[in-house]
Amino acid sequence: MRVIVPIKQIRDPRGVKADPRRQQVTLEEAELVINPTDRNALEEALVLKDKLGAKVTVISIGGPEVEDSIREAWACGADEGILLSDELLAKADFRGAALALAKAIQKLGDFDLIIAGAMAADTCQGQLGPRLAAALDIPCVNDVYRILEVSGGKARVIRGWDEKFLEVEVELPAVLCIAPGANVPRLPHGARIMNSYQWEMPVWKASDLGLSEEDLRPGVEERGLSFPPERVRGRVSRGSPEDLARELVSFLRERHLI
Amino acid sequence: MDFTLSEEHQMFRSMFRDFAQKEVAPLAQTTDHEEKPPLEILKKMAEQGFLGATFPEKYGGSELDNLGYCFLMEEMAGACMSTALTLHVHLGLAGNTILREGTEAHKEKYLPDMAEGTKLGAFALTEPEAGSDAAAIRTVAVKKGDEYILTGNKLWVTNAGIADIFIVFAKTDPQAGARGISAFIVEKSFPGFKVGRRERLLGLRGVVCNPIYLEECRVPAENLLGQEGEGFKIAMRALDYARLGTAAMCLGLAEAALREGSRYATERSQFGGPIALKQAIQNYVAESAIKIEALRHLVEYTAWLADKGERFTKEAAMAKAFGGEIVRWVADRMLQVHGGYGYMREYTIERIYRDARALSIIEGTTEIQRFIVASDIFSGYGLKIKP
Amino acid sequence: MDFSFSKEHQMLRRMAREFAEREVLPIAKAIDEEHRVPMDVVKKAAELGLLGVPFPQKYGGMGAGEIGYCIVAEELGKVSSSFATIIGAHIGIGAMAIYLGGNEEQKKKYLTPLARGEKIAAFALTEAGAGSDAAAIKTRAVRDGNYFILNGTKQFITNGDIADIITVMAVTDPSLGPRGGITAFIVEREYPGVRIGKLEDKMGIRGSSTAEIILEDVRVPKENILGPFGAGFIVFMQSLDMGRLTLGAACLGGAQTALRMAMEWAAMREQFGEPIAHKQSIQWMIAELATEIEALRSLVYRTAWLVDTRQPFTRYAAMCKMYGSEVASKAVNIALQIYGAMGYSRDFVVELMYRDAKIAEIYEGTNEIQRIVIAENLFRDFGVRIRP
Repeated sequence: MRVIVPIKQIRDPRGVKADPRRQQVTLEEAELVINPTDRNALEEALVLKDKLGAKVTVISIGGPEVEDSIREAWACGADEGILLSDELLAKADFRGAALALAKAIQKLGDFDLIIAGAMAADTCQGQLGPRLAAALDIPCVNDVYRILEVSGGKARVIRGWDEKFLEVEVELPAVLCIAPGANVPRLPHGARIMNSYQWEMPVWKASDLGLSEEDLRPGVEERGLSFPPERVRGRVSRGSPEDLARELVSFLRERHLI
Repeated sequence: MDFTLSEEHQMFRSMFRDFAQKEVAPLAQTTDHEEKPPLEILKKMAEQGFLGATFPEKYGGSELDNLGYCFLMEEMAGACMSTALTLHVHLGLAGNTILREGTEAHKEKYLPDMAEGTKLGAFALTEPEAGSDAAAIRTVAVKKGDEYILTGNKLWVTNAGIADIFIVFAKTDPQAGARGISAFIVEKSFPGFKVGRRERLLGLRGVVCNPIYLEECRVPAENLLGQEGEGFKIAMRALDYARLGTAAMCLGLAEAALREGSRYATERSQFGGPIALKQAIQNYVAESAIKIEALRHLVEYTAWLADKGERFTKEAAMAKAFGGEIVRWVADRMLQVHGGYGYMREYTIERIYRDARALSIIEGTTEIQRFIVASDIFSGYGLKIKP
Repeated sequence: MDFSFSKEHQMLRRMAREFAEREVLPIAKAIDEEHRVPMDVVKKAAELGLLGVPFPQKYGGMGAGEIGYCIVAEELGKVSSSFATIIGAHIGIGAMAIYLGGNEEQKKKYLTPLARGEKIAAFALTEAGAGSDAAAIKTRAVRDGNYFILNGTKQFITNGDIADIITVMAVTDPSLGPRGGITAFIVEREYPGVRIGKLEDKMGIRGSSTAEIILEDVRVPKENILGPFGAGFIVFMQSLDMGRLTLGAACLGGAQTALRMAMEWAAMREQFGEPIAHKQSIQWMIAELATEIEALRSLVYRTAWLVDTRQPFTRYAAMCKMYGSEVASKAVNIALQIYGAMGYSRDFVVELMYRDAKIAEIYEGTNEIQRIVIAENLFRDFGVRIRP
């Protein structure tokens, strides 16, 4: 059984500093860490490794610094890791990154599950899982809270559904997108940390994946950053409960909210 | 110049010392460990006339002057800091404020009970948003007929859980800043007066310190202390005198620490002899003694100024700032002399170390005392500084 | 010169920090109030290899060296002095004595389970009459065939009541004194005659235990002699050197937390119409403290580097312990002062930190002894041999 976990390296959201006076957000001082939800995904994969002996492959795309996060995932218990990195891949947008990851997964050969984080804490796009599923033409379950069982070429999982939980069964291979906070991800073992740079990590370039500059050309253009408009001040009302209720109803009616 | 004490002062001093060592010191450890207020000791103090010592005889006191009061605080603190502070807040802050600022009727009504110990006093100034910045209090007093209605919260009210008579500061004119503050004598039994949960403290564990909540507390108009708007001045005057007493407590506690450390140094043997033979220990002891003597002179000089009726605000602030810092230093070094034993709760120095830490905070932090000193100095140059 | 940490050590710091924040921080206040050792959390630390940080992997350790160990001590020191003390006594002096003084057999038998955290170590040197003057110990070890019979009482032993393996120093030849007359032994808690006496009621680090260990006719096999016979004092002094360095690292962590808390409070607490951070009295405290913390950081990691590159470091370890504990005490004192009366309340963690910090100036050799060690080392270069 093979489980593939695509991870993303991001700036630690806890280290992000805001300068309200200059209307700037500083990222540079924040540490580079594995996207928190990807750690939840990795944890689910490692549970399958503990229970079923699954082989866990971690894969990521980005600059050379991303190697550190792959090695950290290895220290947590992953069996191997692959980095997709060159100048072309560095320029790829969501679509390009998903395409490259899909090509790399195809290149790895057979697999049973792709377990991804539902969303990256920096961009909050949530595109990767569904895009991988589409590119590989396999089913995808989003917002997964728990993997109940993996056997007989199927996985039974619990996913969020309209503020309820829904149990679903999916045929393998499939993509499971793990919800943030679905579990408490384990910490890497100290000795594995110390050994985490002792193995050779394969680095695949765009050409290794058969991708050209044309394939990876961004489909989305960034036009600039701006701050959201300031919130309109709230209104505080006083009075008897009856008056307040009446006022609230008319307020909501005025705005066609009810 | 004459540094000798009058016979009367000597007599007071030895009486305080005897009482402190015989009655207070033996209970100090249990007072701390069991965190119980020293009510038994206060009863005995009342019998000795200590609880109203500074009051005139007709109110049950013996007209102890400021120097005498310093001796009282020094000796009590040397035996048990929790007991000393309880007494100090009762007498030095609450009782003396009524004595200084109250009408004859106030004095007749409250002082005899306070001297007898049937009623204990407390002083409620600090609030959540008004610590060092005392003028920022938010408690308000609104006059309605022949009553004031007080609303607000007071924090860190020493003795709150055991006291009956509270000096409470509130704004009668919320727009007027410090000049809008008035002082009131509030009894625990007044409607709308509530005492909150007792604070759990690092040291001073025999002290009962609580927040109080004034929920439309009704105070008779005649319980206004001084005039409306005089509250801040009353508070500052009270704190001037209180700081002197607190500096004396620093002195007593530092002396106790030095006693503990010096005795231990002569008894503890390492490297073939008492550790008192080591220069490191000698230096700690000598430096402690130097600081203590400097503090003693500052305290006694300030008391002398106060007793002569001269201005002593700056000197009291100096004594409190210096005292609060050196008592911590001395306690720290003397704990160090004890080595590992000093960290164990069965040793007196462990309690002294925790108790000492309060003294650079209570009744105005060291930083505020320094401000008072600096502002006094700069005012001599015609410059008014702000904190 | 290169001041950057290796990638492995950076990862280790992230792990240690997350462990400290996730597992230790939430219980830090409770273990003080309840006066209990959090064995469940110690076990979790063991599962991550945190009970064998500096030891080689072949003995079940993490293989992270002294730099790695200082990183872990710093991160634990940031959240709980009690917890840092438990780990410090276990690794830094207890197991360290076996690592430094033990033979291959002893390392396999004793160091391995200790490094894995399956067993807990304690280091038993101090006695009622032998604190700073460690050579004045009275515990006796008398030979009886293939055994030594140990008798004596050890005092103030950190982890005393939770330890499985205790390294004990005893007099084997009273006529010889510290050089030649004292031998180190590995004593198992299970040996008949080993008893736990009084548990100390301390001002702080109440989440760690400090116990008396009583040895009554304890038969210790001669294979359990640690290091050369009669050279126990040297084995122990070497372990203490290591312990001092990491204690300095734990103090570095504690000082940083105190500084951060002081700053958060100063930025939030308003008096006289603005946050007190605007007052120069506060600014001076913060600026000086931050400077001392940076100086301490350099001292600690430079010393760890000396250890890992096998250079002499005794005087620097003493400096780490002495300066580290004094900076940490100063830091919590400043934090408490800035908190004002709130800092004196047991509702706030500053109060706990204030009580905890003091012990670092005392244990593992008082700061007075550290000054002697430093001076002794310095004067030796001038051909002067000083005595305490």
